[in-house]
Amino acid sequence: MSDDRRSFFRAMVRSAASQAGGAADEVAATAPPGLSDEEVERYSRQLVLPEWSEAAQLSLREASVLVIGAGALGSPVAAYLAGAGVGRLGIVDSDAVERSNLHRQTLHYTPDLGVPKAESAAAKLRFLNPEIVVEPYQARFAPAMVEAADLVVDCSDSFQTRYEVNAACCAARTPLVEGGVAGLSGLVMAIRPVESACYRCAFPEPPPPGAAPTCAEAGVLGPAAGVIGSLQALEALKLLAGLDGALLDAFLQVDLSDHAFLRVAVTRRAGCPDCGTL
Amino acid sequence: MAAHALDVTDVTCPLTWVRTKLALERLQPGDELTVSCNPGEALENVPRSAAEAGHDVAVAGTLVRIVRR
Repeated sequence: MSDDRRSFFRAMVRSAASQAGGAADEVAATAPPGLSDEEVERYSRQLVLPEWSEAAQLSLREASVLVIGAGALGSPVAAYLAGAGVGRLGIVDSDAVERSNLHRQTLHYTPDLGVPKAESAAAKLRFLNPEIVVEPYQARFAPAMVEAADLVVDCSDSFQTRYEVNAACCAARTPLVEGGVAGLSGLVMAIRPVESACYRCAFPEPPPPGAAPTCAEAGVLGPAAGVIGSLQALEALKLLAGLDGALLDAFLQVDLSDHAFLRVAVTRRAGCPDCGTL
Repeated sequence: MAAHALDVTDVTCPLTWVRTKLALERLQPGDELTVSCNPGEALENVPRSAAEAGHDVAVAGTLVRIVRR
């Protein structure tokens, strides 16, 4: 994405968040062409991997990732992406921290009760990695937000939002990592619109209202959300760095009660309302 | 084929190999990188990691000569 195009879309995101009641910090980041000594040290344990390289690290630094939801899934996703060196992280969440969140939403602590989750998360992420730009949006998801991103990670807890995010990412052709968790089970899927099956190809219709318990209704063990969020972060890094083995044209169904991991193949559907006509 | 030099005597594991690896990534196949290492950890790990990555490696004293694959 060119700088002009990036600036245009960032302005659009700020506008969308502003209309939704949120605000974004304006932070300018002019990065040198190669990795600094501090960056080499900070990221040394991933740079040392045969699968990783300076080019991979630079691709992360240049990337803008939107994390939708700063809760049970968004916490590990945002923390790992910030730690890994994703240059710009947008954090979207309209809620404030509640006491019942704390057992699983690891970016929020007891003193954060009542603080907007996007702000609470952003503060921790900036402590974790001051080299990156973190933009909190205290807002509900709006389709225009994905235009600013090189990749979206959907950590929302409702099917309605999940389908909205999938449709927006398909329309903008923005890569997406989907995820969901309830109880001890979860699901992860990586999507490159047009190139691979989208979430709606795999799950054409949302469950009827009332049929699918939300996270808030169903309960969840914190570590189960941590596993699914960690898998989402891993998929995001694979897509950003161009590593092999991403969960494209497949979803991973995880049942942590007996540690059953099932990779289910999916193909694009010609009649998919989200990606079938692209 | 160009010859290059790198000194990693001011850092410790894993930066010894990380700096060597990044330097090699910037070279062309067949280019030679001579890495000055401290005896001990660096002199053991840098040539071993370079060989595991598929490069040709020779050690002379505290100098590790690596030909990029």
